[in-house]
Amino acid sequence: MNAAVTGRSLGLLVCSRCRATLRAIGAVEQRCPRCHSPVHVRRPHSLATTASLVITAALLYIPANVLPVMRTHTFFSDEDDTIMSGVISLAHSGSWPVAVLVFFASIVVPLLKLIALGEILIAVTRKSVRQPQQRSRLFRIVEYVGRWSMLDVFAMSLLVTLVQVQSLATVQVRPAALAFAGVVVLTMLAAQSFDERLLWDGESRG
Amino acid sequence: MSVIVCHACDLAHRLDGITPATRVRCVRCHAELYRTSAAGVDTAIALAVAGLVLFIIANLYPLVTFKVNGTTRMATLTGAALGLYDQGYATLAVLVIFTAVLVPLTQILSFLYVLVPVRLGFRAPGQETVFRALAALRPWGMTEVFVLGAIVALVKLSSEAEVAPRIALIAYGFLMLMLAAIASVTPTEQIWQWIGRGGRR
Repeated sequence: MNAAVTGRSLGLLVCSRCRATLRAIGAVEQRCPRCHSPVHVRRPHSLATTASLVITAALLYIPANVLPVMRTHTFFSDEDDTIMSGVISLAHSGSWPVAVLVFFASIVVPLLKLIALGEILIAVTRKSVRQPQQRSRLFRIVEYVGRWSMLDVFAMSLLVTLVQVQSLATVQVRPAALAFAGVVVLTMLAAQSFDERLLWDGESRG
Repeated sequence: MSVIVCHACDLAHRLDGITPATRVRCVRCHAELYRTSAAGVDTAIALAVAGLVLFIIANLYPLVTFKVNGTTRMATLTGAALGLYDQGYATLAVLVIFTAVLVPLTQILSFLYVLVPVRLGFRAPGQETVFRALAALRPWGMTEVFVLGAIVALVKLSSEAEVAPRIALIAYGFLMLMLAAIASVTPTEQIWQWIGRGGRR
């Protein structure tokens, strides 16, 4: 296979903000002439930053899913809900399409993001040159669906604001909601700090 | 420059080898190299103004009302974030305000800040900084996720109380569509082409 002609091999840089192509001048910190963003051949410390964010998010994923995120306090009882038990009670109240939606957004998507980013990080660390196409497609899916996990946080904000009828029922946030939001934000930051070009560098050298 | 480098896989493309099109993708990784839009600056400005009006309506009026046992409660956009704050979860409140209120507002205002001067034929001071902020904030605007979140909350409550979507939620839904329309008529390359042309005039 022919070695691909890359920007790096031609001494060209591309601005990650405005995507202008520019000539590398070899300065320590070069800025894009069009939008003035710092431009790098490869984003510095991309792997280490992404890896630490993914590991932190993976640790938070456990309390986020095991511990209750919400408490419903009524006259008769206190009921704690985890993310999963919230999905189940939604399914029971007859709105299973919404239950499926929440299941995907809150449970499947964060897990998929952690696994996918983990796999990508391991592949890049091992300098795997196979299947950059598939990995880049996977990465773009992760980047695109990440924000949808905020769904539950937004729903919760409305629930705790509306259901504050002292004589009947109140809804309270539980600490695991913070862990859950942490997973969403950290995995988004992890995807943003990853330099996609690392997936292709193996092939470019080949 | 006659060469364009892919931002996602670093492959160099010769521009004269590319057939001119409104959207050009990288031959290796299929990332979008650039996209231009047939719509003019006027269209983009009109959409941004409409978005601003919808944003104001969405923030002034209640999103949903909740009726149970003769008690009626309602929640506005900022009210929902304050509900989290009141329970001691300031971090979550800030996150909601940031992604559902501040980012969409900043996006609309910065579009207007850059594009209105382009239309009038001068350069907005600090437009590079505004552009960079716009690009960095893009993934954090979550209007469409908030709309679905509100629907989930309505469905959860509908079995136990009388809940109804109100005018602000409708306006917010249209704001979501407006932001999507703005994004589709203002690809990065197009903004810089407009700026370039405005600068020469």
